[in-house]
Amino acid sequence: MATKKTRAKRVLLGLVGVTALMGGLVACGGDDDSSGSGGEASGEPIKIGVAADLTGPFTIYGTSMQRSAQIAVDEINAAGGVLGRPLELVVEDTQTDVAVTTDKARKLIESDKVPMVLGPIGSDAADALFKTVAEDGKTVLIYPETYEGGKCHPLFFSTGAVPAQQIRPMLPVLQEEFGPKVLLFGADYVWPRRSFEIAKPIIEEIGGELVGEVYLPLIADDFTELVNAVRDAQPDYIYTLYPAVWGAALKALEDAGVLEGVGIGTTFVGDPGLEGLSAGAVGQYTALPFFTTAKGDGVANFLKAFQAKYGADQIPSGGEGLGSYNAIHLWAQAVEKAGTTDPSKVSEAMVGLEFNSPTGKVTVEPSHHVTQTIQLVKVGADMKHEFVQAFENQPSEESCSL
Amino acid sequence: MLAARSRAASISRSRRVRYAEVIFGVVLLALPFIASDVFLIDRFGRYFTWAIFAISVDLIWGFGGVLTFGHAAFFGASGYLVAIFTERAGWFLPLPLWPAIGLAVLCVAMFAFLLSTLAFRGPYPMRGVELAVITLAVAYLLEQYARAGGQITGGQNGILFGERLELFGLDMHRGRGFYWLAGIALVVVYVLVRVFVNRRIGLVVRGIRENEDRVDLLGYDVPSIKIEVFTLSAALAAFGGAFFYVHEGIITPAAVGVAASTQVLLWVALGGRGTLLGPIIGTVVLQHLTATLSGTMLDTWIFVIGALLIVVVVVFPAGVLGFLDRGPAR
Repeated sequence: MATKKTRAKRVLLGLVGVTALMGGLVACGGDDDSSGSGGEASGEPIKIGVAADLTGPFTIYGTSMQRSAQIAVDEINAAGGVLGRPLELVVEDTQTDVAVTTDKARKLIESDKVPMVLGPIGSDAADALFKTVAEDGKTVLIYPETYEGGKCHPLFFSTGAVPAQQIRPMLPVLQEEFGPKVLLFGADYVWPRRSFEIAKPIIEEIGGELVGEVYLPLIADDFTELVNAVRDAQPDYIYTLYPAVWGAALKALEDAGVLEGVGIGTTFVGDPGLEGLSAGAVGQYTALPFFTTAKGDGVANFLKAFQAKYGADQIPSGGEGLGSYNAIHLWAQAVEKAGTTDPSKVSEAMVGLEFNSPTGKVTVEPSHHVTQTIQLVKVGADMKHEFVQAFENQPSEESCSL
Repeated sequence: MLAARSRAASISRSRRVRYAEVIFGVVLLALPFIASDVFLIDRFGRYFTWAIFAISVDLIWGFGGVLTFGHAAFFGASGYLVAIFTERAGWFLPLPLWPAIGLAVLCVAMFAFLLSTLAFRGPYPMRGVELAVITLAVAYLLEQYARAGGQITGGQNGILFGERLELFGLDMHRGRGFYWLAGIALVVVYVLVRVFVNRRIGLVVRGIRENEDRVDLLGYDVPSIKIEVFTLSAALAAFGGAFFYVHEGIITPAAVGVAASTQVLLWVALGGRGTLLGPIIGTVVLQHLTATLSGTMLDTWIFVIGALLIVVVVVFPAGVLGFLDRGPAR
């Protein structure tokens, strides 16, 4: 009989539990609802969505993106906000996962009803986000990461670097230092492939000679093909875009002894990317929009603001940090200019805008990409990036007629 | 005596589970009317397609006792096939969406049939860990192939879907429409599997889980039954996967990978292995908590979820529904 009583108790417990759970679930997401839609009232913050990879393999880039955006927001709010209203970031962790990115983008657009989304990192996630924004047509999307270029939509903007921007200034420097023969080595996906297609005519133009082109899987564990190609082709330098496990590829080349007298140029290794590279990286050149060792007061001030907020040992990474900072400022300017947060009006206002970024002038092109300063650095004997040269006003060379 | 036997054979021998079923059904029906945020309703539709995946795993693992580390290969491959059938041109392609979904499910089922025939009827019939390793290898290989598949699979960046889910002229791609589509699909799959496991064959399947040799000795053709269950399970996963990925609008190599395959095991274990309703609840609750907390507790959500999982596994070793059904583990 006692068992019957406890069983009844358990039934009750179970019922209450399940009901509470379901009720909780609905309430959990339901309370987001009231927030975004209205909000034109003065004084109420303007929300900006941030789809950042704060967990998973891209954590360092996503974190840098979120933090740099926050610094821009703090600056704007300290100066009185936009249209008399403060800005506020709604950050979602996209977990370095394409499915999560799609879901979070929909949440930011449809539930939070933000007029602008900043993000993401990976180019596969960018495809997903781009599609969502293009379909919904209710939000401006600004992609702050270095990418392969080629995206074109009235509501899409890129503040990251694109291939021609980095390749055109870098290759002549490499050719002068090492010689004309170049081998291209990339991971087998769109970013490296499109970059190399853009590099080929530039190599020809400057009188270089393409002696080899190698693609390996994004995360390869055997580099024999690369080692053999370098041994056979005898390049003067290698231009590489192998972002996931470059350290392993470099180690393999070094161990095989084929790197003697061969230079290296990359368009992806930011300051945090130097961690874990072997000594073979000394002398390696990289072209990106931002390095902590880049010259100028703007860079020093940006770094100071970043470290004051997030800690003295924290640094923004090479591309997306500055890109995010610039994106927020440019968008805020466009909103002031348009007098509204309406996405299509803000989009129109964006084109032609100029902003004095920490590294120099940034201009929004009609292609919805930006003309900006590119920094060239070289890995020193202490395994830190040494500043080589800054190339101001580098156009994206993207063509997108809208 | 007869009544007693049929009670033992049914998975919902306790009334509590039946109450839970009713409550779940009511919540499912009421939710689109309670929640005013269309995005939230859409998100639940998304959980439902995942829940179909969880049921498929519960069938093979919870009832059949066959642990698989590669079930996302079926869930994801179906998405890839639908994408290829609708987006690529040549020969008989592109197909309209619904025939593409049907063909994708059929292809996955055939593949699963061949794979399981090889595994259970091959020269070295596989059990337990061996099969887990094979499924792991299949998922791994498919992920690598998807990455390297060039024009066909779209490589690292995958394939974008151009098609929208429409039925009888009704738009069911997003929001409430998708919720009902996914909800009905889930209920159909749930009822189908519930009937299957409560029939005589289901009892034999559970017998195989408990003691394969004994069932064999009783004269049942154990390999055929395992092949049948494996194929059915893969087909159900494919059915859910097709809806999930068309709704996502994009499919990338991670869809068929090992990580996606192990995640579903967690949903099933959490909700209660071999309870059918448990995996649904496990999926919905865990996914919703993850989706919500990863926006509100940016720095700590992953630890909170981790701690919660440990607590739940310690307190309810048989899963939440297992606890409801049988009480604390003895």
